[in-house]
Amino acid sequence: MRRGAAALTLIVSLLAAGCATPAAESEFFGKVDPPEGQVLRYITGSEPESLDPQFGTGQPEARIYMALYEGLTEYHPKTTLPIPAIAERWDVNEDSSEFVFHLRPTARWSNGDAITAHDFVYSFRRGLSPAFASRNAYMSYYILYARGYNEGGVFVRDPSSGRFVQRSEVSGESPLRLVLPGDEATRRQAIGADPALQKVTAGKQFVPIRAEDIGVEALDDHTLRITLTQGAPFFVGMTAHQFFRPVHRPTVEKFGVRWTDPEHIVTSGPFILKEWRPYDRLVVVANPMYWDAATVKLREIRFYPIEVQTTMLNLYKAGEVDAIYNHTVPPSWLPIIRGLKDYMDAPEIAIEYYGINTTKPPMDDLRVRKAFNMAIDKAALARFRVVAKPLTAFTPEGIFPGYPQPQGDGFDVSRARELLAEAGYRDATGNYDPGAFPTDQVELVYNTLEANRQVAEFVQAQWKQNLGITVPLRNMEFRTFLSERSNLNFKGFARAGWIGDYMDPYTFLELFAVPSPGTNNDSGWFDPKYVDMLSKANRTLDPMKRFEILAQAEAYMLEAQPIIPLLTRATDWMKKPYVKGMYPNPGTLHAWKFVYIEHDPAKWDYGVPALAD
Amino acid sequence: MLRFVIRRLIVTLPLVLVVITLTWGLIRLAPGNFYASERALPAAVEQNIRVKYGLDQPWYVQYGRMLGNALRGDLGTSLQYEGRSVNEILARTIPVSAAVGFLAYGLALVVGVAAGTLAAVKQNSALDYTSMAVAMFGISLPNFVLGPLLVLLFSLTLYWLPPARWDGLPSRSMVLPVLTLSAVYMAYIARLARAGMLEVLRSDYIRTARAKGLDEKQVILRHAMRGGLLPVVSFSGPALAILITGTVVVERIFALPGVGNYFIQANLNRDEPLILGIVVFISIVVLFFNLLVDVAYGFIDPRVRY
Repeated sequence: MRRGAAALTLIVSLLAAGCATPAAESEFFGKVDPPEGQVLRYITGSEPESLDPQFGTGQPEARIYMALYEGLTEYHPKTTLPIPAIAERWDVNEDSSEFVFHLRPTARWSNGDAITAHDFVYSFRRGLSPAFASRNAYMSYYILYARGYNEGGVFVRDPSSGRFVQRSEVSGESPLRLVLPGDEATRRQAIGADPALQKVTAGKQFVPIRAEDIGVEALDDHTLRITLTQGAPFFVGMTAHQFFRPVHRPTVEKFGVRWTDPEHIVTSGPFILKEWRPYDRLVVVANPMYWDAATVKLREIRFYPIEVQTTMLNLYKAGEVDAIYNHTVPPSWLPIIRGLKDYMDAPEIAIEYYGINTTKPPMDDLRVRKAFNMAIDKAALARFRVVAKPLTAFTPEGIFPGYPQPQGDGFDVSRARELLAEAGYRDATGNYDPGAFPTDQVELVYNTLEANRQVAEFVQAQWKQNLGITVPLRNMEFRTFLSERSNLNFKGFARAGWIGDYMDPYTFLELFAVPSPGTNNDSGWFDPKYVDMLSKANRTLDPMKRFEILAQAEAYMLEAQPIIPLLTRATDWMKKPYVKGMYPNPGTLHAWKFVYIEHDPAKWDYGVPALAD
Repeated sequence: MLRFVIRRLIVTLPLVLVVITLTWGLIRLAPGNFYASERALPAAVEQNIRVKYGLDQPWYVQYGRMLGNALRGDLGTSLQYEGRSVNEILARTIPVSAAVGFLAYGLALVVGVAAGTLAAVKQNSALDYTSMAVAMFGISLPNFVLGPLLVLLFSLTLYWLPPARWDGLPSRSMVLPVLTLSAVYMAYIARLARAGMLEVLRSDYIRTARAKGLDEKQVILRHAMRGGLLPVVSFSGPALAILITGTVVVERIFALPGVGNYFIQANLNRDEPLILGIVVFISIVVLFFNLLVDVAYGFIDPRVRY
């Protein structure tokens, strides 16, 4: 029995040691020995789908692309707003529908070739080509005819005069050409349903939209003009997105889909690819050809693709990695980690909410939707979730400076019960009666994840306590859930989250500018008046005035309650104190050229580094 | 013997085809698709993707093409990892999974057989009880509990070994995954070896061997073990097959770039060619090792004849 006893002692001492560690150790989580020299070991999330910036869609990829590729602009390390990169400056026309970028003559590809405006033209056309089938193509739909080209659409041309039929000949005022579906059956159907279309298309030719038709032109080697279909003041912010980062044409054309292999790849960013072992490591080293190589301090970054949170934190604690990406600290670890000085807590350009299927009773009744929203104590929810802020609107709290964010309905149980009574759920005396509510017609669905379950149970308890209604919960595997949700195949409520693509409220508000199903509008609510308000805002030149109109639109949408806002998320990640130049910015997107390892403990970050400039 | 092997090999091919077809059908039945993400795609973008990957064609065309390619040894290209062929992914991941699996199995075999044999020889002694108690503990402790416990002790408290990741062979990074993986098998083997040996030690031919005046060491090592370890051999086939085809939990906990890690992700990603490729690989390995065990029986057990 001696060995059994020994094993038991081992386990007990092990657990005791585990519990004692955080208290016994310093103000940081685990080891704080900086690596030799300027090497950063970073966990960026799942294995990248591809090293092609126009192909990969996720945040893990975005962070790797930020090392390898540089775009017209780059994300500011603190604010995520655009800063000059390959473009040293840009001009905007007065209604924000035309942007002229002036490229740096010193910008070079990693093989020494000059980076020119033609490279951008090539890259944007390639990204939009239907055969390339980029999932991010929609990011550039603001560019003139980009959508038509990507969708395989056609222009309508008069065969005798060669003149293109304008959109204004069919409806409204618009200086653009008419675009129709490329698929003949769909087109015939569209024309058949619209007499105005029949008139203008009679006897005309249908000409496929070509890559050359989109609103991207090289005025000369260093000047790029981008024309949009509508005013979009936020467009410059979008140009830092991975989809707009250029690729090297000769390499792509020579090696096809294998052009991203380490032996072929040619890139434009501050780092170049040295080694790529899928699911193991991706190593980049400083690029000597980079135009701003003098600023780049790190000699090497090792990206580790890891998906399991506890594994990440174990590696971090053992000092095997120096920083990890956002939302990586498991909720149960927060009580220990939140008080440490290497925990990065800051508001994020991301929200959590529940979409309501407004097409099915009882949720088609506005009063019912409002009641369910008012019956949730969001402040309590935020306290429960620890790293989050309560949210009553649809844009995240405290992210967009100067934006007069509206407030949605607050926590008001008695009003909620009144509303439900008004909606017909009452007894003979006219008082609210939870028994009258059809509980079997609603449910709360979410994709299987510990945090989602916790929030769902919390909200369920709130409804039970405040309304006396027990809404059933149902969890689903992620991809199954996505298809159920976007097709509005759920009844009641579906968990949703949104991360902004660029630093502007519009990246949230545009979700409801398109009808369901099959879009990001997971509510079935669609109102042309709302869409008009948004386009009016985007045509407005004064940024503050524009914000005001956007805020009005947001308030209008909140009034219709197609969603239940829950939380503004927090960045929630860790970095060792010796990693400098890395900030908890709203997108957790780090411009690597500013990051370095500080070997002098006096200059370390003791706490969250200041985000103010 | 040769005829037996050939006959078994002939059965293997249809079996693999059935496995492929079933898997393919099951993937089709699962809702969702590989290109879905938290943000919905415009219909046209989805259509472009469907055309690019041939998903716009009828199912029998897709099935036929997949089967034809598979029969030629081309398992297709991953849908999740642009441009990376399934063969290439397997070629990268199998060595990692196999290395960890073989090491773990080797360790389990050596320790398990030694402990089991000793326990049988010294039946009802303190040694027997202790080693069987530890083995019982090992069987009951799942690797997703044991792994983190080992990490807690060796990586996060003593800082001796890295808590995860793979630095190739040999390296410090292999110690914890191998230990974690082998524990259960070690325990099983110890119990199987003990039971097998106990039975054999009571049989007539062992009494004969002892009666001949053979030294006890000879009796156990040369005569008893050969028969006593048969249960271990039959256990080894499937066990090895499972171990070297990637053990999902351990590869996940220790972030090893092996087959198991990809397998989980491929399923979550609805990466059809990759799922199929891994399933084909696993089924072939399982069939092969079962065959190997049957062949091994012919050598070890004089009663078995083919």
